Amino acid sequence: MMRLALATLRQQRGAYLGTFLAAFLAVALLAGGGLLLFSVLTAKPPADRFAAATVVISGDREVTLETVTKKKDKVKTKVKSERLTGAGMLPADLASRVAGLTGVTAAIPDAAFPLQLSTMTGQPIRGRDDAPVIGHGWQSARLTPYTLRAGAAPSPGEVVLDADLASRAGVTAGDSVQVTSKAGVRTMRVAGIAVPASGDGLPAQGALFVADREVQTISELAGPTAVGILTAPGADRTALLAAVRAEAADAAVLTGADRVRADLPGALPDYIGPISIFGFVIGITAFAAVFVLTGTVSLGVRQRLRELALLRTAGATPGQLRRLLGLESMLIAGLAAVPACALGVLVAHLVAARFRTIDAIPQQFTVRINVLVLLCAALAGLLVTFLAARIAARRAVRIAPTQALAETATAPGGGVLVRALLAVVPAGGAIAVLTFVPLGGPLGMGMSFVSSALLLCAVAALGPVLLRLLIVPLSRLAGTTGVTGWLAGAITRAEGRRVAAVAVPLVLMFAINATMLLNSALLGALTADEQAARTAAATAQVTGVGGVPLGTVDRLVALPGVTGAAATLPTRAIVAQGGKPEDYVAQGLLTVGSEQVLDLAVRDGAIGGDGTFAASSFLTEQEGWQLGDEVPIWLADGYQTPLRLSAVYERSRGFGDMVLPAQLVAAHDPRGLVSAIALRYQGDVPAQIHADWPALRVTPAIEAARAGDAQNQQGAWELMVVISLGFTAIAVVNTFAIATAARRREYADLRLAGATTGQVRRLASREAAITVAVGLILGMAVTAIVVGAFSTAQDGTFRLIVDPGTYLGMLGGVAALGLLAGALPTRLVLGRRSLPLVAEGR
Amino acid sequence: MWSGNAASTRLITMRNRGTAEASGPVVEVVDVAKSYPGGAGVRALDGVSVAFAAGTLCAVMGPSGSGKSTLLHCAAGLDLPDTGRVLLAGQEIGGLREPKLTEARRRRVGFVFQSYNLMDSLSVWHNILLPQRLAGVRPDQAWAREVVQRVGLAGREHDRPGQLSGGQRQRVALARALAGRPEVIFADEPTGALDLSTGREVLGLLREAVDSFRTTVVMVTHDPAAAAWADRVVFLADGRIVDELVDPTAEKVAALMMAVSAR
Repeated sequence: MMRLALATLRQQRGAYLGTFLAAFLAVALLAGGGLLLFSVLTAKPPADRFAAATVVISGDREVTLETVTKKKDKVKTKVKSERLTGAGMLPADLASRVAGLTGVTAAIPDAAFPLQLSTMTGQPIRGRDDAPVIGHGWQSARLTPYTLRAGAAPSPGEVVLDADLASRAGVTAGDSVQVTSKAGVRTMRVAGIAVPASGDGLPAQGALFVADREVQTISELAGPTAVGILTAPGADRTALLAAVRAEAADAAVLTGADRVRADLPGALPDYIGPISIFGFVIGITAFAAVFVLTGTVSLGVRQRLRELALLRTAGATPGQLRRLLGLESMLIAGLAAVPACALGVLVAHLVAARFRTIDAIPQQFTVRINVLVLLCAALAGLLVTFLAARIAARRAVRIAPTQALAETATAPGGGVLVRALLAVVPAGGAIAVLTFVPLGGPLGMGMSFVSSALLLCAVAALGPVLLRLLIVPLSRLAGTTGVTGWLAGAITRAEGRRVAAVAVPLVLMFAINATMLLNSALLGALTADEQAARTAAATAQVTGVGGVPLGTVDRLVALPGVTGAAATLPTRAIVAQGGKPEDYVAQGLLTVGSEQVLDLAVRDGAIGGDGTFAASSFLTEQEGWQLGDEVPIWLADGYQTPLRLSAVYERSRGFGDMVLPAQLVAAHDPRGLVSAIALRYQGDVPAQIHADWPALRVTPAIEAARAGDAQNQQGAWELMVVISLGFTAIAVVNTFAIATAARRREYADLRLAGATTGQVRRLASREAAITVAVGLILGMAVTAIVVGAFSTAQDGTFRLIVDPGTYLGMLGGVAALGLLAGALPTRLVLGRRSLPLVAEGR
Repeated sequence: MWSGNAASTRLITMRNRGTAEASGPVVEVVDVAKSYPGGAGVRALDGVSVAFAAGTLCAVMGPSGSGKSTLLHCAAGLDLPDTGRVLLAGQEIGGLREPKLTEARRRRVGFVFQSYNLMDSLSVWHNILLPQRLAGVRPDQAWAREVVQRVGLAGREHDRPGQLSGGQRQRVALARALAGRPEVIFADEPTGALDLSTGREVLGLLREAVDSFRTTVVMVTHDPAAAAWADRVVFLADGRIVDELVDPTAEKVAALMMAVSAR
């Protein structure tokens, strides 16, 4: 059997090229996506800020909820946690208590807090690869350790910079820099330059040290975020750890590689976003790859029915044919997998490089090549190819041996009932997803993709049946364009199954990509609309590089002429959701003045008041809250406080799902800076602002920039669409080529019947036009269902086209590709051999 | 047996013909040579001259590799000779390029091949009318209906070729060839895939086409019984015409074939 499989492979290299190409690309995409996901999941912080400490006690870095459910006699405990964006604090006296333990040489408190550093000319300075600047007290320099390369330790009003930051700022000891924290803007003198054990600074954070006495003033932290413990050599580790744990109470005691987790979350590269991005990348590519591979393999099997029938005549049993097809497909996929893995590595590196450029992943991210991941991708490709071949073979091998003698072989058709059943399940799934999942929420984009994938499966299963409905009118239409059109109509009517096989990749290409593009365009437009509506009443917006301290805001809004102001502090807050802590974008809001500047479209209640908060209608419905409910909310540093729901608002897009008191956010968010102040004023307020705070920018409110986060997301999204467009386009061309290659004989027969090569070419173009029309109509139907449901979920408006430019572009692009892919292989087939040889089927 | 030099054009008068019409050659092949690349310079045709008179059934015979199919392809304008001329109803087609060649062919020539070469996605009726449609002429439906009747396909017009037996498909091919009223029908092993009695029926139809429709048929075959239906048999060996037979019988053809093959 093996020998036969090898022999047929050698014999018909051309016929297998299509399957090879599909398997090659599918495995490459799976391998690339797999490597990226593996790399983010196993990404390690690039350096340990606490390398010199034996043990580190850490404040809270995550919120953990424990739910206990009783089911009859069983007690189930579920522990769910959510990462904090800030750092929880430890008791101020903990360090001194631990210092007294035996074996401890020193217990050093570290208060880590993000800072905005800028030169005296106002130019912002960040660390290497855009790393944030983190402030510390000077005594904690020992924990890494940082040592002075020049100058002296800082006194109040002074800083020590790591050498990397100093060179970026172009300062040396004796120069001055500006330091912005939530406590305000300070001009500080550079007292010295420090370096860690190797290099000029740590890879993912720029270090700025202030005098220990000044830590609390600048950071407004009530206690240290971590305590590092140095021990004497030869101390009893076990006893020491036990003693430290006893003192630390609830706080985490970390050793070895875990110590790094005590660092400020913002000081470590954040891989949470990339995990979801790469998860999505692999989801889309895996679906498209499997979908395309399955279709290609079964088309390839169908094209070889005649050969299979001949083998049956030669005495092969159906079982042998099944094994032959399975084996062949495995050989092809195996051959394809080897170069595909190499391409996968390349894909991973290219995508990672692009994502780094657009800041969708941390600069420190590197692709790690893992043989196991590559093997899994190759195995997945092999398995899909094998299964697709076996499923296609299941029907094909039932072919009667006598069909070999007939001019063309046709496999027994699958029952409409089976197809309908195969279609109903995914279609039902899609309807369920579209109906029951709140598409307006954060899951909306992902779920709309899932539902279009399910609908595509339904279309693929029902393909030949749906096609019959479409082809009849389309082929009649084609029939009006002369004899080649009439012929194209007749052939497509007769060859529905082949047309379906070629049209399905077109449906895939249009539906997947149009849905992604249109939904993201819709979200972008809605967000921009809401942003504009929110700040419509403002006459200007004030922003500062990295943010504005709340104290500055207080003085700014008190300027004469300001009639209304709204300052927003972006943060994140966590609420419990069915026993699971969920993290949401929130804003600290400070409003002053008699005139309303920020219009959140409050539906119920009123924003403001001590101990209250407001929530978006989405979140309110999600949580089932009522006005007046007391809700426990965790702030960025893990501090929990109950707040009363005082208002529900509509315009949450691009803003956040909760509005909290500004002071509360400023106190508990590590950064705690106002990102923008919307203003209404009379008189020349901008001139006064320029005079008092030259670093602040005053812009017309309409120019409000989109959040940087949203831009990164958009960039990542666009790259994904490019990958998916490329892959589906190749699938379209590949399928057309496979289908055309098998028609050499048919074209020769036509030529014998008196068709000129021009007529055959025109016939092929018209057939391609019918196929493309079918593909696009089905693609538009899938897109309409998904985009319509998504759009309705967003704001109650049913939209189909959303963005005419994108829609027409997709239609035109897919149509042009399909027509070209249908016409080109025909040209090659016609030009290749002289007529009689082909006619005789040699 | 060996009758003269191959370069001289032969013209055989019709037999069994009461008409006095002077019939010139419909197809004339003059000094045609053709070799295929790759085959170590094998000359499939080596200076062949032959003419086929209107209203006759002429068989071309020869052992495998003698060049009989190549001769038919060149005479029909399916393939272009390396040297020499091919005249189809007086028109020189050797120098024609596509699509002119196809146009000349579909106007004057019909084909019946061993492998039927029908379009599976078209019904019998549409297959029969296809060449005329491709030629852009209004199909003569009344004539097509008569042809369908004569070849015994009445009632099967709406079937697909896939639903027919081999003999029936060959009848469709013959009806298609006849429907366009071609000046000549080229048949390449038309009974090759058929059983004895079905083959005989198809040959009878070809003969009838010649006798009652005054069609010209040039048929390549290796079967002496099939050749016996012809008015004249031309024998090919090694790319040359080596002999010919007028008013053949199966026995005479078989004897000559033996001799030709043994040479």
